Amino acid sequence: MPTELPYAADAEVSLSYDELEVLRTQYQKEQTQAHVTIQTKFNYAWGLVKSPLREHQVEGVRLLQEIYRAEPARRRECLYYLALGHYKMDNYEEASRFNSLLLEKEPTNMQAQSLAALIERKVTRDGYIGMAMVGGIAAVSALVAAALIRRANRK
Amino acid sequence: MASTQPVNVKLLLIGNSSVGKSSLLLRFSDEQWLPEDEATATIGVDFRVHKMDVNGKKVKCSIWDTAGQERFRTITSSYYRGAQGIILVYDVANRESFDGLPKWFSELETYVSPAVVKIVVGNKVDKEFSRQVSYAEGEQFAKRMNSLFIEASAKTAVGVSEAFREVVEKIIDTPELWAAAIDKTRTGGARPAPPTHNAPSTSGEGMPGTISLDDAGDNGPSAGGCAC
Repeated sequence: MPTELPYAADAEVSLSYDELEVLRTQYQKEQTQAHVTIQTKFNYAWGLVKSPLREHQVEGVRLLQEIYRAEPARRRECLYYLALGHYKMDNYEEASRFNSLLLEKEPTNMQAQSLAALIERKVTRDGYIGMAMVGGIAAVSALVAAALIRRANRK
Repeated sequence: MASTQPVNVKLLLIGNSSVGKSSLLLRFSDEQWLPEDEATATIGVDFRVHKMDVNGKKVKCSIWDTAGQERFRTITSSYYRGAQGIILVYDVANRESFDGLPKWFSELETYVSPAVVKIVVGNKVDKEFSRQVSYAEGEQFAKRMNSLFIEASAKTAVGVSEAFREVVEKIIDTPELWAAAIDKTRTGGARPAPPTHNAPSTSGEGMPGTISLDDAGDNGPSAGGCAC
């Protein structure tokens, strides 16, 4: 029986306050020592992206972008978590852009395929909501117009 | 319909990179297999749900497939909590992956309770011609580590569903595991935050850059780190 896909493990659960604090403490400690290792930065960025708070997500994405530029060996995971971060912030266009870059390099990557499906699902749903709203507005305007015309005709 | 609620079981796949953890899961859950040049290294953690019947009981397995690469160790360690079964995988045609198992067992000491069901899986038995670890050796090691043992091949499907089934059966037969698992989840979720006054513990010299997120240490001496 196939799994209920799509699913992205790191999109669902966030770290506890304590756990994120451990990562932040390490990051800040290394900052004061004027040398932040890529590993520490990546761990912290991952923790931030997992957070439900938007300000955390934004900061996580910013750090991941820095790592992406500085460390070619870490690009694939940066792309994945950048996509995930933007997905969580509802920036589906950006999410899709980063995820597609990963899929271009690794067409059979199942995590990226799954994330692509998640993004697609959100975009479609938002699309429907958008259409429903446009449709709703059109219907209301038609009613208002009809009422105005009727009133105008009565006079 | 009088059917009972399914039992939820949490399993975790661990082991060195490229031993075939994701392939075993893909074979088990989707009955598929990707050739080696198409398989990609897991980023952090992947996840699948698989429903099965075990001795008339409905079981819903959440299976967490972790990256074997060291740079994801901090990420993957955050997923150990609440696991009732651990599947430790090595590649029978890769000695190093077998020799890496003690390191994974010491991770388990840090993160899960001793009651958790463990199975050692020697994957890739289809590569019989280049085997580097004998069945007997694998079996002996597993026995010493108080674990179940099986050899399997994600490619040919030999032993794969048996491996998962054996773990789940033993989990169901271990009632104290259920109480322990619930306790762990609860303490993990709702425990008030003790201030982190000390530096995060880095565990094991074989794992540079790993930060233990498990501040709990509520099962034994632990508190991360190895005795070496």
